[in-house]
Amino acid sequence: MDDPLIIAGQIIRNRFFLGTGKFASYELMREAIIASRAHIVTVALRRVDAHFPQDNILEYIPKDCIVMANTSGARNADEAVRIARIARAAGCGEWIKIEVIPDNKYLLPDNAETIRATEVLAKEGFIVMPYVNPDLADARRLTDAGAASVMPLGAPIGTNKGVCMRELIKILVQEIKLPIVVDAGIGRPSHAAEAMELGAAAVLANTAVATAEDPVLTAQALSMAVEAGRIAYRAGVVMPKDKAEASSPLTGFLR
Amino acid sequence: MGVRINGEELTFVPMMSVADLIAQRKIRPESAVVEYNGALLARDKWEATVLKENDALEILSFVGGG
Repeated sequence: MDDPLIIAGQIIRNRFFLGTGKFASYELMREAIIASRAHIVTVALRRVDAHFPQDNILEYIPKDCIVMANTSGARNADEAVRIARIARAAGCGEWIKIEVIPDNKYLLPDNAETIRATEVLAKEGFIVMPYVNPDLADARRLTDAGAASVMPLGAPIGTNKGVCMRELIKILVQEIKLPIVVDAGIGRPSHAAEAMELGAAAVLANTAVATAEDPVLTAQALSMAVEAGRIAYRAGVVMPKDKAEASSPLTGFLR
Repeated sequence: MGVRINGEELTFVPMMSVADLIAQRKIRPESAVVEYNGALLARDKWEATVLKENDALEILSFVGGG
């Protein structure tokens, strides 16, 4: 691999990360993971509902994937830290996506609490992947706090609106040394490619795949778009111009 | 006083172990994660841990999430 993604010293085989929520079945989720060739997949931790016994989701995730628990449901740093510790103690490994969301309407993260949780968990040896609003000063704080990446939202979770935070994400890519993973809002392959063209290190999607008519094909399409966008970024794709520029010689025909 | 299980207050203490409780509630043990009084309770301790007054249990499992 001539362009490996390295996070916390580990080579990540694919720049497309897949969330496992909202799939119609765990079998379908598994097929989508395989089709996307995702190396990192996220899961959540919840109270068991005794009335709806469910299979163990971890059994459906291919063994060569990194399972990254998220701290969804946390409303502050303390809750995120508690969830992270339980997830690790339960055998979920060191990877943790910090998600601290006090707002139910837009599901926007709380950067200050996320930074606080990052400080605590990084010291405890977690590989901390914080989900945040794209803000340069906060991204620097996360870097200092020991985050392994910064995961800015493209648009609010589940909205499929694409890279609405484009200009701010571009600044993070330019100024922050950590891998920038665009998380949330990615609704279609063109969005994923756009994020990667901006220089994002990776893209995480879930709703776009799980709620698609054909999740397996969508997973494949998003993953391919991420790869294409990455190659385009490395190739230095051209910028838009205001005036036309002929592709054919400008001399008139037969003159 | 009783015990609290997944946020639900019971006014009595069921005379059973955590393992019995998991079985009684028909929860698949292999997918359950138990937090017992604020700390994770390893699976091999479920049998020996008998519920007592003022215990707080969270029975959790990994689910799909983004």
